[in-house]
Amino acid sequence: MAAAVSTETVNITVNDIELVVPKGELVVEAVKRLGLEIPIFCYHPRLKPVGMCRMCLVEVGFKQPDGTVRKMPKPQAGCTLPVSEGMAVYTDTDAVKRDRKGVLEFLLANHPLDCPICDRGGECPLQNNTLAYGPSTSRFVEMKRHLPKAYPLSQYVTLDLERCIQCGRCVRFTEEISGDSQLAFRFRGASMQPSTFQLTDFESKFSGNVIEICPVGALTSAKYRFRARPWDLQTSPGICTVTPCGTNIWFDHRSGKFVRVNGRTNEGVNEEWTCDRTKFGHDFYNAADRLATPFRRDGEAFNAASWSEASQAVLAAFADGGEGVAVLVSPTLSNESLFMTQRLVRDTFKTNNIDFRPSGGLAWSERLENKYGLDPVGGTIADLEHAGSILVFGASLADEQPMTFLRVRKAWFSHGARVVVAHEVATEADSFADVVLRYNPGSAAVVAAGLRQLLAKVEGKFTPEHVESVSGVPADKLRAAAASLGENGAVVTTRRLAKPAAEILAVAAHETGRTFLHMGPHANTEGAAALGALPDTLPGGVKAETAGLDTKGILDAAAAGKLKALWLVGVDAFSLGDRDLVSRALENVETLVVTDYRPTESAEYASWLLPLALPAEQDGTYTSSERRVQHMGAILQAPGEARAQWQVAQELAARSGAAPVFSTSEVRSLIDSVAPDYASLTMAKVIDGGELLPRRGQSPHDLEKLAQTLGGL
Amino acid sequence: MSFDVFRDVAKPIVSGFGITARRLKADKVTVQYPEERREQFPRTRWRHVLTRYDSGLERCIGCSLCAGACPAKCIYVEAAENTDEARFSPGERYSHRYEINMLRCIFCGYCQDACPTGAIVLRQDFELANYEREDFIYTKEMLLEPIR
Repeated sequence: MAAAVSTETVNITVNDIELVVPKGELVVEAVKRLGLEIPIFCYHPRLKPVGMCRMCLVEVGFKQPDGTVRKMPKPQAGCTLPVSEGMAVYTDTDAVKRDRKGVLEFLLANHPLDCPICDRGGECPLQNNTLAYGPSTSRFVEMKRHLPKAYPLSQYVTLDLERCIQCGRCVRFTEEISGDSQLAFRFRGASMQPSTFQLTDFESKFSGNVIEICPVGALTSAKYRFRARPWDLQTSPGICTVTPCGTNIWFDHRSGKFVRVNGRTNEGVNEEWTCDRTKFGHDFYNAADRLATPFRRDGEAFNAASWSEASQAVLAAFADGGEGVAVLVSPTLSNESLFMTQRLVRDTFKTNNIDFRPSGGLAWSERLENKYGLDPVGGTIADLEHAGSILVFGASLADEQPMTFLRVRKAWFSHGARVVVAHEVATEADSFADVVLRYNPGSAAVVAAGLRQLLAKVEGKFTPEHVESVSGVPADKLRAAAASLGENGAVVTTRRLAKPAAEILAVAAHETGRTFLHMGPHANTEGAAALGALPDTLPGGVKAETAGLDTKGILDAAAAGKLKALWLVGVDAFSLGDRDLVSRALENVETLVVTDYRPTESAEYASWLLPLALPAEQDGTYTSSERRVQHMGAILQAPGEARAQWQVAQELAARSGAAPVFSTSEVRSLIDSVAPDYASLTMAKVIDGGELLPRRGQSPHDLEKLAQTLGGL
Repeated sequence: MSFDVFRDVAKPIVSGFGITARRLKADKVTVQYPEERREQFPRTRWRHVLTRYDSGLERCIGCSLCAGACPAKCIYVEAAENTDEARFSPGERYSHRYEINMLRCIFCGYCQDACPTGAIVLRQDFELANYEREDFIYTKEMLLEPIR
């Protein structure tokens, strides 16, 4: 949070009402302070003003010394005009109304009136403004222009050129926000058209946003095409669970079926944007092969069974199984589901064999917070906006952390942050990076050590020349990167970066007073780690007395026939890598229970197949990669008898004698009793925009252990 | 006493029959339904019909404006896209599913007002009784006018 700064203000009048506003604010924003609205098309609060559509025309004058107002001879565009002392703005004079009618008449001269079949109809700014400010009839009798309709700009975005009013919002979005500059205007004047260069595909990781900001139906979603009209849809607030960002979304559904996703404003996370994985990646809710009842394997066939039978069978195989049973859980389950599952595993199954990580996760004592007392997620996405310099290391942010990518880019675009990108391959962030460090695969740790040596000004063997010989990063570039990073800022990396590099970066960030962000790859990675879905960690980050097997250990033990029973909760084991090991593991387990929303490849090996309710079909909270806990209520109904994992886990626990748990709020109070971080949250805040888990705080210790790590390179 | 009986009982009965007797001369208003049916007014609003163009193509474009205008929320529309192989209506879009719940319908005719192509119209067929509740869900096939 920035300290309160004194802002220079000016006195203006809006419709003769006196108002004090910050100097330089645009007229179109200033009038909002009075609750007034100036109709707009091309203006967007998050984009630079261009004044292309002329919809925001207002009358502007200046107070004269004798107290009268001398109006400018012509109307002014409110979206490009900053306020100044003594300005008098008029938004509802007869002249302004006439101007608006004129502008709309011109915009509609060529706009086809195919509103009934247009996907934007019903939520269209052009419709709304025409209704509110426009003429009731048109005087144009000439033929309208005819251009290609339903031109597929990409697999997600459909362009209807006839409907375009040339506001340039989409073009400016790709230039200013997403940074891929994929769209541009072809031709000039009346024949201007938004399009990609050379008519190639519109390849962007954020292309869905242009659909939402298009003020007409020119850019529409190929997936939502003709699926519903806005008034058919019910809209519920939700959280994206396919990306780790915790993107806030509107979940549009019709007759209990998911239809589409729109961005929901949360200034702390996604502002109002979504990435394409979020916007177009939720179709699995409508998968044709959703499981609706538990299935039991009888020979080659799966036969429907009841939950009661399934619970008995699972309990028979797992209860008190000790070292002979194991559970793999998905880090996209809710906090409640993960917590109840680990409680079941520890209390009822009497084992610590539970893991959510694909493979090669760090042991308790190897994790940053325990080894060095450093906070692995020491800042927020929103913090990045005002970081003076940002080092993006070993991550393709646009793929892995899309909302963090947009914030890093905004820091550069709007606040002039210097960005250094270090990665093995080219990434989107290279386009705005001050310095790009392209290192050889496997040499990330050496580059990190070299950077640390330059930034923290310590002595060591990782001189730029040494780094160049190992990683192929020119010594000059490394020096330039260190110079560009300056004295403070932020370091962003993801959990995909191998251990030594992340460790070195964390220590370097601590030594130079930078914010360090080590971001997890899934919707609830942080929650799974904090709530004990790990073999050696109990809820609250407490070290377990005896460590269980991790994912690799579980698969190895299963393949060696040492496991009696294995339960995959929302995990397709074949996605964990090494298909040979996985298939041997699944074959050699006596009882394999698979819980998933649809039959996965692992399900073919299952003894029991249990239906899983998806995130939007249950009440739950999720901890995003910046450790923001957010809530999503049950929006849809789960098909048939599909249940949330916490319900399944609580039923098994209750059947073996534990006190039953009836709701997610009860689960949350159980969580609060063992995880102090979560106990400090207020549910009202979690629901309204999410609340950050308290920072662990830096309590650095054993930093000299880094020498050992460095020595091993 | 006897005068009161005459005034309060006998006289109203006689004058009442008088009205009946006078009406005997006038034309009959009752019709022998179902053998004979009264002619409906031209703008009567009864059973819905989805009309076609003269070409045989459906007028309905699946815009769902009728569903939006419906105060009883009894119309359900699902649209789909025409292809050159399967063309139902002239433009890009047609109604893939069109259902009216006749139990909910209040025959206000707002759907007809809202329709931009004049596809949904309320016609004069008023005999809508049925035996099963499910049978009151009129599907697109039932509503669509046969090709002339």
